[in-house]
Amino acid sequence: MSSLITNIQGYSIHDGPGIRTVVFLKGCGLECIWCSNPECIFPYPEIGFFKNLCTKCGQCASVCPNQAISAKVGQLPVTNREICCGCGACSAVCVQEARVLYGKAMKVDEVFESIKADQLFYQASGGGITVSGGEPLLQPKFVSELLRKCKEAGIHTCVETSGYAPESALRQVLPFTDYMLFDLKLLNSDLHRCYTGKPNELILNNAKIVTSSGLEVLFRMPLIPGINDDPQNIKETADFLHSLGGKTIGIQLMPYHELGKGKYESLDKLYRLAGLSTLEPEQVETVQEMFKARGISCTISR
Amino acid sequence: MITKSKIDELLLKRIDNLELSDSLFELKHAMFSAQRKVSVDRIKLAMESWQETEGEDIEIRRAKLFKKILEQVPIAIYDFDIIVGRETEHLVGAPLFLDQVGDAIPGLWDGTDGLDLNQEEKEIVKECSRFFAGKTAPDHVMKVWHSLVGTWAEDIIEAKGSDPTPDSGYFPGITCRALWEKILSKGMRGMIAEAEAGIRRFQEMKETDINKYYFWQAAIIVCQAMIDYAKRYAKLAISLAEKEPDPARKKELYEIAEICEWVPENPARTFHEALQCMNFIIVGRGLEAMYPVLIGRMDQYLHPYFEQDIREGRLTPERAAELVGNAITLWGMKTVVQVGKTQKQTHQFSYSINSINLSGVDRKGNDASNELSYLILHMVGLLRLSSPTVLFNWHSKTPRWLLLKALETNYLTKGGIPLFENNDHVVASFVKDGTPVEVAREWYGQGCVTPILPTKIDHNGSEGKGAVNVAFILDLTLHRGVSQITGKKIGIDTGDPRSFKSFEELYEAFKKQYRYVINRVLWLGTVAQSVEPQYLRFPFNSCIVGPECMEKGQDIMITDETHSYGISDRAIVDTADSLLAIKKLVFDENKLTMSELLEAIDSNFEGEKGEKIQQMCLKAPKFGNDIDEADYMVRDVGEFSASVIYAYQNPFEQPCKISREGLSWHYFGGLGVGALPNGRKAKEPLNDGSISPMRGMDKLGPTGVLRSALKAGFEESYASCLNQKFSGSVMQSAESREKLAVLIETFFNNGGQHIQFNLVDTAELLDAKAHPEKHRDLVVRVGGFSAYFVMLSPEIQDDIIYRSEYGC
Repeated sequence: MSSLITNIQGYSIHDGPGIRTVVFLKGCGLECIWCSNPECIFPYPEIGFFKNLCTKCGQCASVCPNQAISAKVGQLPVTNREICCGCGACSAVCVQEARVLYGKAMKVDEVFESIKADQLFYQASGGGITVSGGEPLLQPKFVSELLRKCKEAGIHTCVETSGYAPESALRQVLPFTDYMLFDLKLLNSDLHRCYTGKPNELILNNAKIVTSSGLEVLFRMPLIPGINDDPQNIKETADFLHSLGGKTIGIQLMPYHELGKGKYESLDKLYRLAGLSTLEPEQVETVQEMFKARGISCTISR
Repeated sequence: MITKSKIDELLLKRIDNLELSDSLFELKHAMFSAQRKVSVDRIKLAMESWQETEGEDIEIRRAKLFKKILEQVPIAIYDFDIIVGRETEHLVGAPLFLDQVGDAIPGLWDGTDGLDLNQEEKEIVKECSRFFAGKTAPDHVMKVWHSLVGTWAEDIIEAKGSDPTPDSGYFPGITCRALWEKILSKGMRGMIAEAEAGIRRFQEMKETDINKYYFWQAAIIVCQAMIDYAKRYAKLAISLAEKEPDPARKKELYEIAEICEWVPENPARTFHEALQCMNFIIVGRGLEAMYPVLIGRMDQYLHPYFEQDIREGRLTPERAAELVGNAITLWGMKTVVQVGKTQKQTHQFSYSINSINLSGVDRKGNDASNELSYLILHMVGLLRLSSPTVLFNWHSKTPRWLLLKALETNYLTKGGIPLFENNDHVVASFVKDGTPVEVAREWYGQGCVTPILPTKIDHNGSEGKGAVNVAFILDLTLHRGVSQITGKKIGIDTGDPRSFKSFEELYEAFKKQYRYVINRVLWLGTVAQSVEPQYLRFPFNSCIVGPECMEKGQDIMITDETHSYGISDRAIVDTADSLLAIKKLVFDENKLTMSELLEAIDSNFEGEKGEKIQQMCLKAPKFGNDIDEADYMVRDVGEFSASVIYAYQNPFEQPCKISREGLSWHYFGGLGVGALPNGRKAKEPLNDGSISPMRGMDKLGPTGVLRSALKAGFEESYASCLNQKFSGSVMQSAESREKLAVLIETFFNNGGQHIQFNLVDTAELLDAKAHPEKHRDLVVRVGGFSAYFVMLSPEIQDDIIYRSEYGC
């Protein structure tokens, strides 16, 4: 069994307890306009192109089996995304690594081996694996198999999810999950649909299932200025968290950043939040106070 | 855990709340913005003295020279000084040492020296250079070498094959700490008493070795000179106090005068006196020899004074912070004018190497961390000093609270302060070589990572055998003994690599070449050890640093079994990666012929074909990615190198220790090495550190690098150097620092030796934006997100650069 992986990132210290390795899967049901991992949205391989690294050597065009790349000497190559099949022939010959293949098919065992290599550091720190993406719950078989192997090897497992996945998929993965990072973006379903492409009922329902399963879960909220940082949304989110009951009523704020922007350009995708300014620390703290005032413990991811 | 319960946690909390006082801020600001000034006073006095004492014994002459300088060199006390004493009257000044290194100021005669001196001062420097030229120990060493091996020694120095040079000023014992416990508890008066006892014994026992007699006479001269020098400050403080309008400062100046009257002549009684005594000794040594004496384990020998003064209410944490802050700022700003051939292409002015060691264990192996360790870390963080170096002596019982404080300091200073070194490995290394464990536990770090025992006098370079450039020797191997850069034949002809049928044949040729070069370097260095003391002595340094000098009546320059020497075999990773690239590309996979590879290297990877071959070389497996064959290649080269060095028979029977330090040598050493099969171009920097991966070539992040380092081992080395670079968020929050602490503990518990964290600075970010191809590995982290900097869009890159500059 294999899956498309965009990145396996060691020494991740903000995605669950301890020192972790995060596995990024490709494919997500949402298209949040603030997404910082746009290369993980589509469930097929894609080529990213970083023009600042390109030396215009033309190698990429000459090896493309589909003639999807047009390159004139001394000019940047242009990729026809409609013909590109993401085979990676161009990225393999690009010595400057200006062309990057997003989505490498990897077997469960392969991923497991690279996870296991850092076991030393997990043990000492209480860390382990975090499966992220994309939406890991869209690949429940792969994820549950990977997490099962990790658990057998004594590695702590964590799933980072948008919650947008069938309930059955969630239930399939839960038994192999020690900890869950669960995103809550917008409580108003219409607005949710507006900014992420999908309504939120499924997500909220899954949040209830996770909470009632007794699993340790940390809800997280990407804090996007002007989109979900208004008092109304904070109130509704707080109310929802209260309605969940469960072991921990808390939320972690993840302030908006623009670091994903370069990846949009590399994929010839439009960055729809261009020009949106990031939040000042005081603004984030204001939101934190709003949550606290409503009896929700609230931390800020730094 | 007994130690932990003794820690005064309330005091730690008070320390955490200490802020930078106005006077410390003023001191730091003044010293950082001060013009660094070369002073000719010392060298002028040295020349006059040398003329006056012509014909007398060398030990006595050097003592009189010291005395004259201490009597006459101009002194100053600045408004914000609580601890007084500097080598020159300038706020930040550097004396000159031409009496020891001769005509060694680069660019002096063609006007490119870059020293800010007026015409009159420049004439003095030139006169002194002419006067001492040819007379000094380094001059004589070079003469002897020349008569033994012709131009070979000059040739290998020119090719950066070994360093430093004899004229670098790194004479035996220069990079050692002082015998602080003894100095603080006995004072100079006690030292003089010891010398007098030696003389009495000489007379009573009818001894005959006149060198001893001279040494003790010299010891009395220099210790008395030190006492009198302090009294000059006492007098100056009183005259300043008389004119001082501010009553608080007036009182402080009288207090300073009282303290200078008492120390270093007598035993220190308070924390303040102890620090003042130390500073006088450091300044005194700084006027005798080029580099300041090391501070060493300051939180240990000063703790009794600190603890007693706090307990008896004589000292508040605020005042202690003031004193510590004042002292370490003074010590951190010590400046030297770089001299000698080795230094020529690095920098003219630099802060001196100095090092404070914190934590560690006591002689019984118990944790030695205390509140003073914590206070010192706090002050280094508040002052954001990049010098002196702070060595955090980690051991398996190091308490987490101190490690976390160290990481907080690391975050505040941004660059590699403190460095973390694994005590357990160092102690085991010394024990393996026959040192009793109680003694081994007292090791301290020299300026960087190299460990030294307080019972030994360490040699670090003036004999030209401080370091060898292993990559340079591979360069020789690939060119039948000829340096690619200088075109001179320095090695032996180990055959034309084009004729080699297997990788083993090439590796054997490299080993043969290596044995030849190393044995020559070590031999010439050992010869130099017996040349130097004929022309140079350090009576004051002998008294304060040499553990047995006073008792034996023997100068620190004279080598015997109490001396030890360290050597650093550098650029092992570059060499191993290169060897592996040849193995893969030429022998295993037949992707290239040796001819093609050598042609590409000789043309520095120029041209279309050259560039293509360079890319193949760069893509060959590299150390730092948890790839077994790459990691074990490093291990193998390291073990081989050590076996050659340890096999060298030294007539003085001193233990040789390998310590793979890094410093900023990789720029300098790279200048001597042609293009390498690992894909590095000619004259480019080699890898930094000694076990750091090739720049931009580690793809798995920090844990992958650590796994590789653990596999490469370097157990044969007393220390190695692993530099890691992060963006600020990895250390910003207390939670992140907890995780970093675990990373360090895990690495060290599994045999890691050293690790140092630098935060990415603005200059590097700017360079990465301009030259993305050179900074592929630069990762920026924000919260749960991390990205390669070069893959960010230009506006975002600018934003990150801006934030880095303004610390937000």
